[in-house]
Amino acid sequence: MRKLSRAFVSPNASAYPDGAPEPVKGRSLWADAWARFFRNKAATGGLIVLIALVLFAVFGDLFAQWSNEEIDWAMLGNVPEVGGPSLENGHWFGVDETGRDLYARTVQGTRISLAVGVVGALVAVIIGTLYGAVSGYVGGRTDQIMMRIVDVLIAVPYMFVLILLMVVFERSIIMLFVGVGLISWLDMARIVRGQTLTLRQREFVEAAVATGVSTPVIIARHIVPNLLGIVVVYATLLVPSMILFESFVSFLGLGVQEPSTSLGALINGGAQNLRNQTPWMLGVPLFFFCTLLFALFFVGDGLRDALDPKDR
Amino acid sequence: MTSYILRRLAVAIPTILFLIVLSFVLMEFAPGSPFDSERGIPAAVLQNLEAKYGLDRPAWQRLGLYVWNIATGFDFGPSFTYRDRSVNDIIAQGFPITLTYGFWSGLAAIAVGVPLGIIAAVKQNTWIDYLAVGFSIGAQVLPNFVMAPILVLVFTLWLGWLPGGGWAGGQWNYLILPVIALSTSYMASIARLTRSSMLEVLNAPFIRTARAKGLPMRRVILRHALKPALLPVISYLGPTFAFLLTGSVVIDIFFSTGGIGQFFVAAALGRDYAVIMGVTILYGVLVVGLNLLVDLAYAWIDPKIRY
Amino acid sequence: MIAASMTRAANKVRTTERIIDMLRRTLLGTAAALVAFTPALANTPQPGETLAENQVFRYRLLDQFPTLDPHLNEETAGFHVIRQLFEGLMNQDAQGNLVPGVAESFEASEGNTVYTFTLREDARWSNGDPVTAQDFVTGWQRAANPATASPYSWYVELTSMENAAEIIAGDAEPETLGVEAVDDRTLRVTLTQPLPYFAAMTTYGTLFPIHTPTVEAHGDNWTAPENMVSNGAYTLDSLSLNETFTLVKNPEYWDAENVEIERIEGFVINDENQALTRYEAGEFDLLEPLPAGSFPRLQEERPEEAQSVPRLCSYYYAINHREDDGVPEELKDPNVRRALSLSIDRSVIVDQILQGGQTAAYNFTHWATAGFEMPTMAAAEMTQAERDAEAQRLWEEAGSPDLDLRLIYNTSDNHRQIATVVSQMWKQKLGVDTTLSNSEWAIYLEQRREGGFDLARSAWCGDYNEASTFLDLMTSNNGNNDGKYANPEVDRLLEEARTADDPQPMYTQVEQILAEDVGIIPIYHYANTFLLNPAIKGFPLENVENNWYVKDFYRVADE
Repeated sequence: MRKLSRAFVSPNASAYPDGAPEPVKGRSLWADAWARFFRNKAATGGLIVLIALVLFAVFGDLFAQWSNEEIDWAMLGNVPEVGGPSLENGHWFGVDETGRDLYARTVQGTRISLAVGVVGALVAVIIGTLYGAVSGYVGGRTDQIMMRIVDVLIAVPYMFVLILLMVVFERSIIMLFVGVGLISWLDMARIVRGQTLTLRQREFVEAAVATGVSTPVIIARHIVPNLLGIVVVYATLLVPSMILFESFVSFLGLGVQEPSTSLGALINGGAQNLRNQTPWMLGVPLFFFCTLLFALFFVGDGLRDALDPKDR
Repeated sequence: MTSYILRRLAVAIPTILFLIVLSFVLMEFAPGSPFDSERGIPAAVLQNLEAKYGLDRPAWQRLGLYVWNIATGFDFGPSFTYRDRSVNDIIAQGFPITLTYGFWSGLAAIAVGVPLGIIAAVKQNTWIDYLAVGFSIGAQVLPNFVMAPILVLVFTLWLGWLPGGGWAGGQWNYLILPVIALSTSYMASIARLTRSSMLEVLNAPFIRTARAKGLPMRRVILRHALKPALLPVISYLGPTFAFLLTGSVVIDIFFSTGGIGQFFVAAALGRDYAVIMGVTILYGVLVVGLNLLVDLAYAWIDPKIRY
Repeated sequence: MIAASMTRAANKVRTTERIIDMLRRTLLGTAAALVAFTPALANTPQPGETLAENQVFRYRLLDQFPTLDPHLNEETAGFHVIRQLFEGLMNQDAQGNLVPGVAESFEASEGNTVYTFTLREDARWSNGDPVTAQDFVTGWQRAANPATASPYSWYVELTSMENAAEIIAGDAEPETLGVEAVDDRTLRVTLTQPLPYFAAMTTYGTLFPIHTPTVEAHGDNWTAPENMVSNGAYTLDSLSLNETFTLVKNPEYWDAENVEIERIEGFVINDENQALTRYEAGEFDLLEPLPAGSFPRLQEERPEEAQSVPRLCSYYYAINHREDDGVPEELKDPNVRRALSLSIDRSVIVDQILQGGQTAAYNFTHWATAGFEMPTMAAAEMTQAERDAEAQRLWEEAGSPDLDLRLIYNTSDNHRQIATVVSQMWKQKLGVDTTLSNSEWAIYLEQRREGGFDLARSAWCGDYNEASTFLDLMTSNNGNNDGKYANPEVDRLLEEARTADDPQPMYTQVEQILAEDVGIIPIYHYANTFLLNPAIKGFPLENVENNWYVKDFYRVADE
């Protein structure tokens, strides 16, 4: 036992072979992690901001004076002069280049982008982690084949996958998620597999193997929990790139279509108008994107710390 | 080790072959043709074009011929769009360019990202950490298609220090803006990965032991912590480098570098099958090759690793 | 992340809109007789102007031209360069009039079916070889030859040269083309039908000559800078795809002493905003096109540089007239279509969105088309309030149908904005829902061709400067009539116009019928907006086909 305690210990006290009685029944892992998470001020703050963002995306429409598609005809044509944020005309965040309310569009865009980010991250976490863990743990020929498949999928001209999706299925928001999900797990699988390769050599895994624990159980109870830190951090890195990736999917015609929008599309539109004296068009969506990233970062880090059994 | 490398190289051939077949099938079923344009092209003219490029043959023959030409003559065929160029010509022009700025961007991302991550981890929850965190988020918040025009606005139009685009054979002053625009978000990702995995390693018992023995911090980090902490970063770098070296569309478009990323996207949109295939294979070879390097690096980091 | 740039990449295909220039009407009066020209007046500095030390002309290109082979080229960007590198029998001047190129004169005989060109004695290739009639014969045969597979080979067919159609279809040998070198300086062309404007057609690249030994020596690679031999005022100095290229003055050019600009530099910049920033940084002299929405600001800040000239293209929404396509039945009702068309406030689109000198369109043919008299369109005469009221009335007459229309367009900022505005106008004025459906270029084209739409964003650019280049699109068997609009009366009138001495009455009638039927919904007529450095003189602002010859430019010193 002493030797094991010095090694990496997996979070759910899995130094103990399955079935063996645990000496002291402590608080559950999750309650423990939860408590640790809330002790972290930055993480708690991040979580609050994140919740606020979700609330904004879901209920923000209630405070909108305009819909996301209505054109304010009075603005059209001289947006740079009169289209800025204003309390009087109800365009809290100003209007876009076609005179549509940027507040309503930001609310709706944030909603889509959050959904895309979450789906992308979830797929990456679930599929990527399992795939990588299995590949790395089983090793040998299985590993070879599984990783070469990932290599091929990384290199294949992805645009055509999306185009075919569009030809076979009608365009819809579901297909956008499928499109994003298809690509998001590949890098995760490689990272997880790399970590698994070293975990596999650790004493606690060897101990589990020696006592006859089955492979699926080892992966689920010993490998995956030890990967959570890196998985969470990488997932938070994925969210922004998935949000921006969405605008590429939509460009092809698979994703969001007008009059709906997304943060990526809004940022893109703002960047187009960089020189047209309409700073709010870039500033507003960028602010929300930025806030989201900060919140995710702190939450992600807090989660990582909370889930790390060696800490504290 | 040598036998492992040899085995991997042997597997690379069927992998690339599989990539070729898969890509070919995808393009075969995708709508559109390389000769599409706003106006319809007369039937007789279209027929001549298709005959010239062998598109009038059945798909399996085209695929077979394609693979055969690559295997026997390293010939990737003529471009459908750039009528007086072959795919080999296009890759020969564009690849060195993306290779150059991609390499420097990758290097910059590592050179800044890794130390930044380490410092942030060591000084966790101090102002240095917060600064590093702030930087890495800031770098990720500005996507390169926002950063590129801002850089040109500032450094070309306002300050007049650097050219706003072009390549000029890769002179250093033409390289700076593309490298900044391309590397920052990777810098940020690398910094974050390094920081979190460094934190994890620093909390590991063997590091605690080393520190308890009174070894100086610097020594502990460089001798003991760095290698295992870099593992996820290295996993991340494999595909990332493959991507960087084959260039970024955004960089090619905003800075008119003439790199291969722009060719690839234009080819995909214009259904220039030959160019798409050529660049895909190039990318595939890089992915396979770099991932092999990554796996070799694992063994260096953790000699216990067995595949 | 790539979307911004993808839009730009799509431009590549979009700008493959080609304008060939035929100048049919302008030549009618003079073509039959022997036409000889006085030497063209060279562009020289006016009193008070001093030539700049550094005679260079730098310009921006939106997209990389795919080829510099005059016979393979099919798009505008490439033709701009080819026009500097090579010279055909005829050139255009600043107004678009025909002036001699390699030919010093020509004679049309046998009722405009036989053309005899006399080549100038001093025309030479850049390696010193003389330009002979045979170089033209070989070049034209090459353009038509199926083995060359030129996407523009149909242009040769368009000239009605003997056997052109048969050669392209593979039914005749290229050598049978109706063109022969009588001697080194005499070229004789035989046509299958009278074509008064044939000489004007020789200004286009497809009918340029070729230096056969070079092509034979280098194959497809003959257009590389180190290989190319050309006969124009400039030669290719360097070329780096998707980055830049340079041309330098050709000392062998027959009129080299009158060529002022020594060097041309082209910069390929896909991103419009980036290009604008670099123009403002002084990196080049001509920037075209301008980013959407920037023209008003630029006109204010740079009144001497911002230009807007008409461009022979019309923007319209095609209506799907197919019977069996799931198109809403109501769309078959002309009143519904009329109401849809009337309720679009085009002034909002041209004055508040495009803002670059485009004009509202109530008919199809571009207003600046040569010899075309704009018909009086009823809708154009009304105020928008009247149009809206009329739309309302027609809509109720049609039973105020509950419609959800599918409008397709290729992903691009301009198309998106126009579609957004139009769909809102319909929604607010008629209560019509519109599903906006964007996709990348190839998918969009396929949908448009196959009829997977109720309405499709479309644009048509004139192939030549005459109204039939637009109106022929509305005939029932035209391959580019994607909405499948069909009216036998239109077919008949346009057939009649083909041989009429004065086709204008037929054109007017066709436009009226088209408006009555609302076969399509015309939206606006194009204008080209660009920035031009005032130091560059001699740019042909009045040439509506935008065919510029750098040999006619010069650069004055900054004051």
